[in-house]
Amino acid sequence: MKADKTVVLASDLCKTYEIGDAKVEVLKDVNLKVGKGEFTVISGPSGSGKTTLLNIIGGIDKPTSGKIVVFGDDLGVKDEDFLASFRCNKVGFVFQSYNLVSTLTVAENIAFPMEWTRKPENYMKERVEELLGVVGLQHRAEHFPFQLSGGEQQRVAFARALANDPPFLLIDEPTGNLDTKTSLKIVQILQKLKGNGKTVIVATHDDRIIQLADQKLYLEDGKLVSLNE
Amino acid sequence: MSETSFPMNDLLRRKLQTSLIIISLTSCVAATLFLLLFSEKIGFGISLMVESKLTAGFSTIFSRFIIFSGLLIFVVGAVIMSFMVFVMMSQKVRDIGLMKAAGCPNDLIFGYFMTELLVVTLVGCFLGVILGIFADFASTSLFSSFGFQIMQKPINFWLVIIVFAMFFALALIFGAKPILDTTKVKPAKAFSPSYYFGVSKESGFRVTSKSGLTMKIALRSLSRHKSATIRIIICLTAVFLLATVGIAGGIIADQTTKNWIEKAVGRDIVLIAHKDMCSQYKLLLSRFYETEESTINYTDERYLVSEDILNRLGSMPNISGVDPRLVTEMHVEELQGYIIEEYKEVGDSRKGNSLVIGVEPEMVLTDCFLEGEFLKENRSWEAVIGDSLALNMFSVPLSQRLNLHGEDFVIVGVCLDPINNGNVTYVPLKNLQNITGVLKPNIVMVKTDPSADHIAVLNSIRTEIKDLNSEFEVLDLNEVLDKNLSFVGYIWSMIMFLPLISLFAASLCLIAYVMLTITEQRQEFGVLRALGANPKTIVKIVSGQSLVVLLSSCAAGIAFGIIITLLILIPEPLITSFTVAEISAWLLTALAATFIFSLYPAIRFAKKPILEIMT
Repeated sequence: MKADKTVVLASDLCKTYEIGDAKVEVLKDVNLKVGKGEFTVISGPSGSGKTTLLNIIGGIDKPTSGKIVVFGDDLGVKDEDFLASFRCNKVGFVFQSYNLVSTLTVAENIAFPMEWTRKPENYMKERVEELLGVVGLQHRAEHFPFQLSGGEQQRVAFARALANDPPFLLIDEPTGNLDTKTSLKIVQILQKLKGNGKTVIVATHDDRIIQLADQKLYLEDGKLVSLNE
Repeated sequence: MSETSFPMNDLLRRKLQTSLIIISLTSCVAATLFLLLFSEKIGFGISLMVESKLTAGFSTIFSRFIIFSGLLIFVVGAVIMSFMVFVMMSQKVRDIGLMKAAGCPNDLIFGYFMTELLVVTLVGCFLGVILGIFADFASTSLFSSFGFQIMQKPINFWLVIIVFAMFFALALIFGAKPILDTTKVKPAKAFSPSYYFGVSKESGFRVTSKSGLTMKIALRSLSRHKSATIRIIICLTAVFLLATVGIAGGIIADQTTKNWIEKAVGRDIVLIAHKDMCSQYKLLLSRFYETEESTINYTDERYLVSEDILNRLGSMPNISGVDPRLVTEMHVEELQGYIIEEYKEVGDSRKGNSLVIGVEPEMVLTDCFLEGEFLKENRSWEAVIGDSLALNMFSVPLSQRLNLHGEDFVIVGVCLDPINNGNVTYVPLKNLQNITGVLKPNIVMVKTDPSADHIAVLNSIRTEIKDLNSEFEVLDLNEVLDKNLSFVGYIWSMIMFLPLISLFAASLCLIAYVMLTITEQRQEFGVLRALGANPKTIVKIVSGQSLVVLLSSCAAGIAFGIIITLLILIPEPLITSFTVAEISAWLLTALAATFIFSLYPAIRFAKKPILEIMT
């Protein structure tokens, strides 16, 4: 799929964590361009900085140096209110460890990003039902997260990420903690997303997901290289 | 790994959690010890200060308040302490479960965590004692520098030891329970997120779909953490009970007792008497707040009020009443009485001295708060006695008689009157004249017309009296009354100071609770932030939890506090709309201050970067 507009543009991105006296360079001069509707996969060994890169692209973290522009906004210089609104409206984030809110039911977990955007109650109800259908969890709507299996929690996390119908999705190791059968369901969801024209960046080792990619990137020791070339 | 190296490493590596718990325990012990030490000076010290002052009735009310407040202070401290230790150990339940799952024997696990508990409790209690003593010293110095008289006395080390020992024991008892409970549960259950921190598996109740997201999360978190929530509510209820007894009770008691004094002494009352009698009468009224003793020969002819003076006062404008009285001091003897309902005799024939005041019942200008009734115009050989005399010399005064100079008087009332510390007997003027042979009054009280200028009327009386007898003086009793009222106000303001410190301790406790709930929910708050919630949303959720906890405990505490104040502590309270407004304002201020104080950790937490929250 050809991109007609740039969604993500990262230039010379560096991220260094200071742990006591030691400095750990997680990202080193990362350059990245993701076009609209593009399905990008970032692979690489554990600890290579995939999650950190996704966090910076998603406005959860800020780079130590370099520039990260998403939808034309330089996230490195934006304040927290802007970033909160950005995360709520423009990005759908699926975390590696699901991160559902334990005090909310499955339906409420999917609905709450919509509540922040003040969607009408009827719309929210219909949207939740629709998303539960997409991830195949209609029968689990009133359950709490601790009553679900890992795969089910991951699917709820997908539904939640799609709640506000964001144009851009960041997905971190979606099949990392799942068995083969459950992973297949996640791959099917990703295929649907690709078909819908969403801009997606996935961090994964899963070959089935890598095969879906328009752009394949590899991150090792903080350096990003393209596998397409 | 030795039995001590694991607990020490565990405590040292969890710096934030360990320091938070130690600070909380230190605060609780320090606040309670400070309250007890300081209240011993300003609270129980009041008992010493008012010894041989006030009247028996007033002293009883003060004593009840002080004893009740003292007990509540200790209970509040103990409840806070137990809550803190419970939360600390409940947070370790998951670790205990994980260790059990890894095959660690029960007795070793118990040893590890008991050692941790002992170390934290010992450090917390020790630091608390040091801080409590320092706070007491600093407060006393601060008060002295502001000119308030606080009794300087050495630290009561027995109190320190008792507080340390009791709190240490309570901490161990309440802390050991969650450890013991966890060693009994299966490992899988123990490290389940739905088990630790008292989280119940089912939410138990549903919030309506219309309620906001923040309240939904806040309420569900509270309902799931039942044990911790119930404990903090009990803890804050005890604090608000103390605060209500102190604030509402203090205000009501202050106004009620002031009202009693004002009615007994009278407002806009002027005393006309010989200058010696004026001084003596002033002294008799001042015995309410001073211990100066002086006696005169009340029946000295120079002190008697002539007909001229009485007639002149009666004909003066802007005077609404003239009340001639014969004041003397006499030997009083208790006579036995008979309680018909119980078929028994009461009375021990006790003897003593009392100030005796002969009055013309229909002309009396003052209106004491009394049990029974006052003297009547057409009845004679009846007496009304002061509360101190009633308490010290009579068993069931209203069923007894008293003997004055060989004559028997039926006691028809017991009054609260600050004059001569309540050691007073009112009898009809004619009867007293018959007994003493003194046929003229020795003081006259007049009431100025409230619509007239009090000072102007006072000056005109002075002019008239000076013309008639230069030895006579005119004394404005408003000055003495105001001194009496100030004294009572001063005592109540000190009693009301106690709950302020409790509220501070409660705020610390609530902060600790909020910090612990934040710690427990930090991952979820991080997720909410990552998905688009702004920092205000997190503050709203935490403040929602605080508000629910505060309002529940506040409602219960205030309700119990009002009931205790009105039914137990103050007989026949005076409550005006202003009283209600004043109490409401104070309690709302206390509630708001505690609430705002508790938001500090939430605001601080919300400002943290998302990744720091989530990791």
